Amino acid sequence: MKLNVVSRILDANERLAEQNRELFRKHNVFVVNIMSSPGAGKTTLIEKTIRALNGKIKAGVIEGDIQGTADAERIGSLGVPVVQINTGGACHLDANMIKEALPGIPLADIDLLIIENVGNLVCPAEFNVGEHAKVMLLSIAEGDDKPLKYPLMFQESKALVINKTDLKPYLDVSVDKIRKDSLSLNPSLEIFEVSARNSDGISGWMDWLSGHIHKDS
Amino acid sequence: MHEASIAQSIMDMALRQLEDSGYTKIDSVSIKVGQASGILTDSLMFAFEAMKHGSPLAGAALLVEEVPVGGTCGACGKGFTTGEKFIFNCPRCGSPDIEVRQGRELDFVEMEVS
Repeated sequence: MKLNVVSRILDANERLAEQNRELFRKHNVFVVNIMSSPGAGKTTLIEKTIRALNGKIKAGVIEGDIQGTADAERIGSLGVPVVQINTGGACHLDANMIKEALPGIPLADIDLLIIENVGNLVCPAEFNVGEHAKVMLLSIAEGDDKPLKYPLMFQESKALVINKTDLKPYLDVSVDKIRKDSLSLNPSLEIFEVSARNSDGISGWMDWLSGHIHKDS
Repeated sequence: MHEASIAQSIMDMALRQLEDSGYTKIDSVSIKVGQASGILTDSLMFAFEAMKHGSPLAGAALLVEEVPVGGTCGACGKGFTTGEKFIFNCPRCGSPDIEVRQGRELDFVEMEVS
């Protein structure tokens, strides 16, 4: 006998993501999920972002790593609430991990929650965690071929931050090609060129972020 | 890339449905997998075969319908499908103004029980 069971197989994650999103909406918190390969500069960008917010916009951070607390210690030293998730091998954060981390974040006291995903250019794009925007970070040292090699990351993101622009003189990389290929994958992508290391170009990124807080949440 | 955990989700869904149905074993499970879903059918089948033993799914076949990437073009107004996993331009007229409507599926469709 045949049973019709039409439903999405990843529904369990989607349901939890929706619960998280509802909680963020209730507390009027804008949530970004930052994705990149390891070493692209996610933690440095988050540090510089929090410094630039200068306490005017209250932020919290969830750090995802396979192992260790180094990132949470860096962020915690800036005086913002931070929770470290150790995935113990899993290559991405999912909605349930975020749900379990949320009791450690005072949602009522913050305007912005930054989620730093596990460094990986493949899996994080597949899993919604309840965020309002996925943000892709690509350092130019990774090469200008990455958008076309890892298209889903670029398609799923609302913004692309191109990092380490201070390394341009030392690299054979075309930032124009990164822009062009990324926009061909996702015509509405907002693109920012920054050097998180010395805060060059960070104001465009900060404007975009500030523009969404208390609006999209 | 998460084929084993997806196989587990499929098995969990099938076993829940079986419980509600009053039948005792599952003969087949049909799913749809979009070609741009990031799921490798071979790996999924392998995981399903390896994990089904000792359960009411032991004799079940996993039937996978692969769905090609497809959509409609805003310029020429025509529908299209493609064998590519990613598509940036309409295969008929070349316009980038396309809306992709299928190819990311990962859906449970039906199952046969006895």
